[in-house]
Amino acid sequence: MISKTFLKETRELMRDGRVRIAFLIVIVLLGVAALISARQYKNVNEQYELAKRSERAIWDNQGEKNPHSAAHYGTYAFKPKYPLSLLDQGVDKYAGTSIFLEAHKRNEAQFSAATDQTGLARFGDLTPDFILLFIIPLLIVLLGYNSFTKEREMGTLTLLKSQGVSAWRWALGKWTALFFPVLIITAALFLVAGIVLSNLDDFGVFSWSSLFIMFVVFVAYYIIFINIVLLISSLAKRSGISLVVALCIWIIACLAAPKAASNIAESKYPYPTRQEFAANVLKDKKEGLDGHNPWSKQAKLLQEQVLKEHGVDSLHQLPFNFDAYRMQKGEEHEAEVYFKHYNYLKDQYIKQSRIYKGLAAISPYLPARFLSMSIAHTDYATHWDFADAAESYRIATQKFLNDNFAENSEFGQWSYRADADFWKELPAFEYNPPELGTILSDNRSNLFILGIWLMASFGLLMFTTKTI
Amino acid sequence: MLSYNCKYELKLLLRSRWIQLLSIMLLLLFGFSIYNGLEKVEKRKRDITAAKEEVKENDAVMLKLLDSVEGGMEVSASPWTIPTSPMAVGNYHPRVAAMEPQSMAFIATGQADLFTHYVKPRVSGDDSALNFAEMTSPVQLLFGSFDLAFVIVYLLPLLIIAFSYDVLSAERESGSLRLLAAQPIRIQSWVLQKLGLRFFWLSILVIGSLTIIFFAVGLNPFTEMTGFLGLLGLIITYMLFWFALAFLINLWVGTSAKNAVALLGLWVVFVLLAPSMLNQLGNTLYPMPSRTLMINQMRDLKAEVTKKQDEILDNFLRDHPEYAINDTTQYRGFYHRYMASQKLVKEELAPVVDKFEGQLQKQQDWIGRFKWVSPAIIVQESLNQMAGTSTRDYENFRKQVVGFASDWRQHFMPFLYNNQDFSQKDYPNLPKFQFEQRSSASFGVIPVLLLIAIALFGLGFTVSRSSKKGNILTAN
Repeated sequence: MISKTFLKETRELMRDGRVRIAFLIVIVLLGVAALISARQYKNVNEQYELAKRSERAIWDNQGEKNPHSAAHYGTYAFKPKYPLSLLDQGVDKYAGTSIFLEAHKRNEAQFSAATDQTGLARFGDLTPDFILLFIIPLLIVLLGYNSFTKEREMGTLTLLKSQGVSAWRWALGKWTALFFPVLIITAALFLVAGIVLSNLDDFGVFSWSSLFIMFVVFVAYYIIFINIVLLISSLAKRSGISLVVALCIWIIACLAAPKAASNIAESKYPYPTRQEFAANVLKDKKEGLDGHNPWSKQAKLLQEQVLKEHGVDSLHQLPFNFDAYRMQKGEEHEAEVYFKHYNYLKDQYIKQSRIYKGLAAISPYLPARFLSMSIAHTDYATHWDFADAAESYRIATQKFLNDNFAENSEFGQWSYRADADFWKELPAFEYNPPELGTILSDNRSNLFILGIWLMASFGLLMFTTKTI
Repeated sequence: MLSYNCKYELKLLLRSRWIQLLSIMLLLLFGFSIYNGLEKVEKRKRDITAAKEEVKENDAVMLKLLDSVEGGMEVSASPWTIPTSPMAVGNYHPRVAAMEPQSMAFIATGQADLFTHYVKPRVSGDDSALNFAEMTSPVQLLFGSFDLAFVIVYLLPLLIIAFSYDVLSAERESGSLRLLAAQPIRIQSWVLQKLGLRFFWLSILVIGSLTIIFFAVGLNPFTEMTGFLGLLGLIITYMLFWFALAFLINLWVGTSAKNAVALLGLWVVFVLLAPSMLNQLGNTLYPMPSRTLMINQMRDLKAEVTKKQDEILDNFLRDHPEYAINDTTQYRGFYHRYMASQKLVKEELAPVVDKFEGQLQKQQDWIGRFKWVSPAIIVQESLNQMAGTSTRDYENFRKQVVGFASDWRQHFMPFLYNNQDFSQKDYPNLPKFQFEQRSSASFGVIPVLLLIAIALFGLGFTVSRSSKKGNILTAN
């Protein structure tokens, strides 16, 4: 019975002109979106490589210079783009791509693509994730809304009942008929993406297992939609009503809930404005040691302490340049201040995430979106991770420079110049995004919510089709 | 016939509880979205006020310090922050360059969540160091905001679709169309009347609920009469467009479900696909130069400039002999060299920076030309303009701030190069920033939208399917 229903439904779908057109449109859109993303990916990566190389060259060729001048001159950390961003662009467009690493200051990532685009960009982009997350669920609604209602409308329901069909087999047949085409489209897209990505030259971070997990997430997301659509179809009296209700669910899940969540999250746990943040940091910085200010109270305290530790009574007798030492201590204090304030931001973000998770109760879109972004390394958490890595690198760089200054010069010797070759000794900034295992364990709650959706929708579907 | 239609349609709508349901939904949607919008505007105002307050407090401290120094007293501040140095004032006592919200700012978030509403330009650092991007979670930017514009552009058409997709087909499916066919009226006129009445009632509901919500949140729509009327005009013509589409689909397609699918397809095309495709095309035709490569260029230039600082300063002073005349000490320190090279960097970088502005402008123009493919784009853009949160408004703000930053720098140059101290009497002359709204909302799109809708209605009348096939009663 399952296979018969499946065959009949599939044949019916294939014969329906609307379905064919809808399918064709989705496939064409996917193709175009993938092509655009692939081009963009290649472009961005080329720019990234070039920028990274020339920035390093600029750093290496500074010539003779005081290490602290070099610290102020600074260097840049560029954020790479990862292969799976081909499938899900996530928040990449809204997050900055380069961080300026300089002395005394932690800077935020600058130059997000969205700030360089027109207002139209806010409608969304034609990218694979747009098709995968919005259009395919809509396709499911269009394919499945009349699955049960048509039997009622055409009067075939009575015929079926007279056959003594077991309801769940019948329902399962319909379910598979709806699931199969969706599975094929998705599998084809992921397969093509996998082949394309594994053939790229620089596919170092690409892994088939990540791609597969992402595929599983999307399939689960679609199964939830299939269940919901069939559930509505089995409960509704007319096809029209079934369609309208299913659409309402789609709108709420994919459009309204995320926006509402973002508003609620922002009003409950707001970020400070850029200027406020800077002012707060400045206030805390002032309370501690300033490496450039030898006359402050904290500087005097440090001086006394260091003199006592080394058992000498003048800064000139110290085995290192106290100016540079103080600079490093100041740097450490400043790093702590930044750590505190960025942690506050992170905290706000974690609290905001809880709101998103709460609203996932009415929207399976939310957990699916967060999961797919995480796996693609295009989510906010990866951005944080990158920013933190850049900050650790900045702190290490400052220590590297200050240590050189302290060890190779004497107190008051601001005219000291480090060798022109010295800069090459600084290790390059390398960033490795979190592994798949870490990502999945970080996203336990999203996986859990998606699982609940999956089971609950299955359960309800089984329950209602029993009594059709 | 029209009067009967009016009477029974209203009865029908009331008894099927459509009117009640729609009023509740509209009140909820408008209420929630306007509340969200107002909250954002309130925060924006609060932030700006707080920033201005802070500057005021800092100024008081600065004046006190100046007073002490001028009185010859010892002060405890770090030597380089003492405001007798003009560079200290320019760096540590910047003014707030703020973009105050427009009166209708709450209707559309537009780019308001992406860009900051106030910056404090300093004398050191260049214009690219002025970060105009606001500190927001990118997740929020990705999802967007549940504002009135979202309700109007995205949700209202869906309500219209749900409200009107089966006007004709439901009659056919329930068998009452045969009865109607016996009446002396053309089927197109009848559908038109029916849809016209629904349009009329929905408009009343929209106007009513918007007015109620406006009063409920403490806004008086009558003080902002032109804005409010413009908003209503825009909403109603946009609604008319969707009713016109519903009219066509009702006449041309068949069963209720097919109508709904067709209308939905149009919604996806106009609201989701057209804008993103247009944007993508704009990006492809006028691609933005790479920011990362711009950084490289900037760095190269700065490295070169640093090496030649002394030479640059000499050249600068040769170009500006006025700075060298009044100063007897002829002292030249870090800032003298720095400011002169900064100026050079800015001039050299100008073509690179202008390229970004130029490409953005080209993209804007491209969208301006092709936005007519989708009324959703037109309405969203108009709402953003009305709210003063469109890309153009922020571009405008950016330009004004860059201009102000240059004024600010310029103001301290004579002090710096003449080695003249900043004193209390110079305080009132500090430049101040006042944002000027340049683009005001234009309601020119309303008649165009109206024309499009009327043309669609006309199309329905002339090219109706019934004239081809002859039998609308059994059409499927």
